[in-house]
Amino acid sequence: MIRFSRIRALLAKDLAETFSTAQIVMPLIIVPLVVVVGYPVAFLLAIKAAPDAANGLKDFIGSFPASAVPAIPGLTAAGRAAYIGVVYLFSGFFLIVPVMFSTVIAANSFAGEKERRTLEGLLYTPLTDGELVLGKIAASFLPAVGFAWVCFGIYTVIVDVLGAPLVGQVFFPTMNWWALMFLLVPAVALFVISVVVMISTRARGFQEANAIGGSIVLPIIGVVAAQASGVMVLSAGVVAAIALAFVLLDVLLLSVIVGAFNRSKVVSYLP
Amino acid sequence: MSDPGSGLAVEVRGLTRVFDAVPALDGVDLEIPRGAVFGLLGPNGAGKTTTVRILNGVLDPTRVDVLRVLGQDLPQGADLVRPQVGVQTDTNLYDRLSARANLSLFARFYGLAKKAADQRADELLDMFGLLPRAAERVEKFSKGMKQKLLIARSLVGAPSLVYLDEPTAGLDPEASHELMSYIRTVSRAQHTTFFITSHRLDEMEDVCTKVAVLAGGVIRAQGSPAAVARAAVPRVRVHVTPAPGVRIAPGELLALPGATHAESLDGYIAVDLRSVRAVPEFVRAAAALPHDLLGVADVPPTLQEAYLALVGSQPGAPDPAPDTAAQTGTEVAS
Ligand SMILES: Nc1ncnc2c1ncn2[C@@H]1O[C@H](COP(=O)(O)OP(=O)(O)OP(=O)(O)O)[C@@H](O)[C@H]1O
Ligand SMILES: [Mg+2]
Repeated sequence: MIRFSRIRALLAKDLAETFSTAQIVMPLIIVPLVVVVGYPVAFLLAIKAAPDAANGLKDFIGSFPASAVPAIPGLTAAGRAAYIGVVYLFSGFFLIVPVMFSTVIAANSFAGEKERRTLEGLLYTPLTDGELVLGKIAASFLPAVGFAWVCFGIYTVIVDVLGAPLVGQVFFPTMNWWALMFLLVPAVALFVISVVVMISTRARGFQEANAIGGSIVLPIIGVVAAQASGVMVLSAGVVAAIALAFVLLDVLLLSVIVGAFNRSKVVSYLP
Repeated sequence: MSDPGSGLAVEVRGLTRVFDAVPALDGVDLEIPRGAVFGLLGPNGAGKTTTVRILNGVLDPTRVDVLRVLGQDLPQGADLVRPQVGVQTDTNLYDRLSARANLSLFARFYGLAKKAADQRADELLDMFGLLPRAAERVEKFSKGMKQKLLIARSLVGAPSLVYLDEPTAGLDPEASHELMSYIRTVSRAQHTTFFITSHRLDEMEDVCTKVAVLAGGVIRAQGSPAAVARAAVPRVRVHVTPAPGVRIAPGELLALPGATHAESLDGYIAVDLRSVRAVPEFVRAAAALPHDLLGVADVPPTLQEAYLALVGSQPGAPDPAPDTAAQTGTEVAS
C-alpha cells in the first residue's frame, strides 16, 4: 500500500535538505546552465557572424538526410546549419542534464542518510518500503526533470531569438523536441535515478554510491546521448516509442527495487 | 489491529542474532505485558540496541521461535505494528531542518495532515521546554536538547509502545526526573507500554514495573525489580536503629538468632540474616533486648546490587546464589 501524503512529506524533507545547502546545488545548476546557454549562443553567433563559413559545415549538414529539415522557402545554407544544430546537435545535452543533476542527489538519498546517521530513525517510522524508495526516487526525479524543463525554456528563447533570423521563421520547439522533453527525458531520468538509488541503498556512504553510480550510469547515458541526434532525425513518433520502452523498463526496475529493499540489509551496513 | 486476546505487548522466545559468527543475542526470551514499563539492563555490548532493532523489524534475527509485537508476528506484521510504535535510539536528527520541522515530518509519517502535524510538534516541543527554539535549525542545539528532541520524536505518533534506548544519556537531572514522571504517568493513564534500556539503575528501579538483565547475549534474570534483586542477592539485611542516646554494640545483635554479620553504621546497625525466615525471630529477640529502639527495618537488596551480582557472574564462574532462579534466566515472581 502506497500513501502519497507520506511520500510527499519525505520528498519535501529531502528537497528542503538538498536545497538548504548552496554548495550542493550550485555546481549542479551552473555547469548545465553554462552548457545549455553557452553552446547554442556560441554556435548561432558564429554562423551569424560568418554565414559563408556554413559552407565549411557542408560535411556536417550532409551527414543529415534531406528530410531532417522541413521545406522552408528561401532557406540558406547558414539557416540550414542553424536548424540542424539547434534541433539535432544539442538534443543529447538534454538527456545528460537531468542525469548529471540527479546522480549526485540520488547517490546521496540513502547513503547520505546513512552517513549522517539519520536513516535508522526513518526506518522505524510507519513508512512502507515502497513509500521510502519511491519518496527517495521522487526527491531526485522531480528536481531533475523540473530543471531540465527550465533549461529547455531558456534554450527555446535563445535559439528562437538568435536562430529565427537565420532560418527565416520561428521554428523551435519542433514536434520531436516535445516528445524528447516530455516523454524521453523523464523516462530516461527515472531509469538512471532508480539505478543510482538502488546502489545508494547498498553503499556505505555517499562517496561510494556516487562513484559506483557514476561509473555505471555515465557509459549508459553516453550511448543514449550519442544516439540522440540520430533518433531525433527519425520522427517524434520514434522518440515517443523509445520513451515508452524506457517507461516499461522503469516500471520493471521500480518493482524490483522496492521488492529487494530490505531494512535489515540497510541497517547491517550502518557505520 | 492488534490481538486483543493477548495481554503481552512483546513476546520473544529463542531469539538469536549472530554477527560475523559471534552471537550478540543467544536464545533470548522476553515477555512484556501491555502497560508495563520494561527495563532492559546490561553492560556495553550486551545486545540491548540489537534487541530493539530486531523488535522493530529493522534487523533480522538469525533464529527465533516466537517474535510477536502488539499481537503481530514479525517480520510479516511489521507494517501493521510500526504505526503504533515510537522509537528513540542513538541516531541523529535532520541537522539542517528546524526542531519543529523534524517533529512535524515524523508526525506526517504517522498519518497526520500538515497542520495537525505542526500542532503536534509544538505540543511536544512545549512539553520538553523547546518551544522557544522551535524555528531554529537543530545543528545549533546542545547534546541534551537534541536528546530531548529525539525522545519527543518517538512520541509524535501517540504510540502504544515506546522504545527508549538510553533516553537519559545527556539529560540533566531535572529533565531525567521529568521524563521518568512522564513515563510513569502515561503508562498508567494511557496504558502505554515502555521498553527502556538504560545504565541508570536507580532510575530503572524507580520507574520499571519489570526488568531483565542481559549480559553476554543471555537473559540472566527477568521480573519485577524487587524480585530480581531478591533472587540475585542472597543476603537478607535489616537495619536496627537505636533511640537517641542509646548505644548498642554490633556484637549484641550478632549474638541473636539468625544473624550472620553486624556492622555499626551512621546511626544504625546493619545486620545480615541467614534467610527471610529468620527475620521474625530476630526482630522479636532484638525487641526483647534491654535497649530502646526506634525501629527494625527490612532493607531489601537494590537493583544495583543485583545487577552487579548478575553481570559479574559470567557463565562458568562460581555461582553466587545457588538456590535462586536468577542465573538460569528463569522468570522470578514479584
Ligand atoms: N551491525 C553490526 N555488525 C556487527 N556487529 C554488530 C552490529 N551491531 C551490533 N554488533 C555487535 O553486537 C553486540 C551487541 O551490540 P549492541 O549495540 O546491541 O549492544 P548494547 O547493549 O546496545 O551496548 P551499549 O550499552 O554500548 O549501547 C556488540 O558486540 C556489537 O559489536
Ligand atoms: Mg546500545
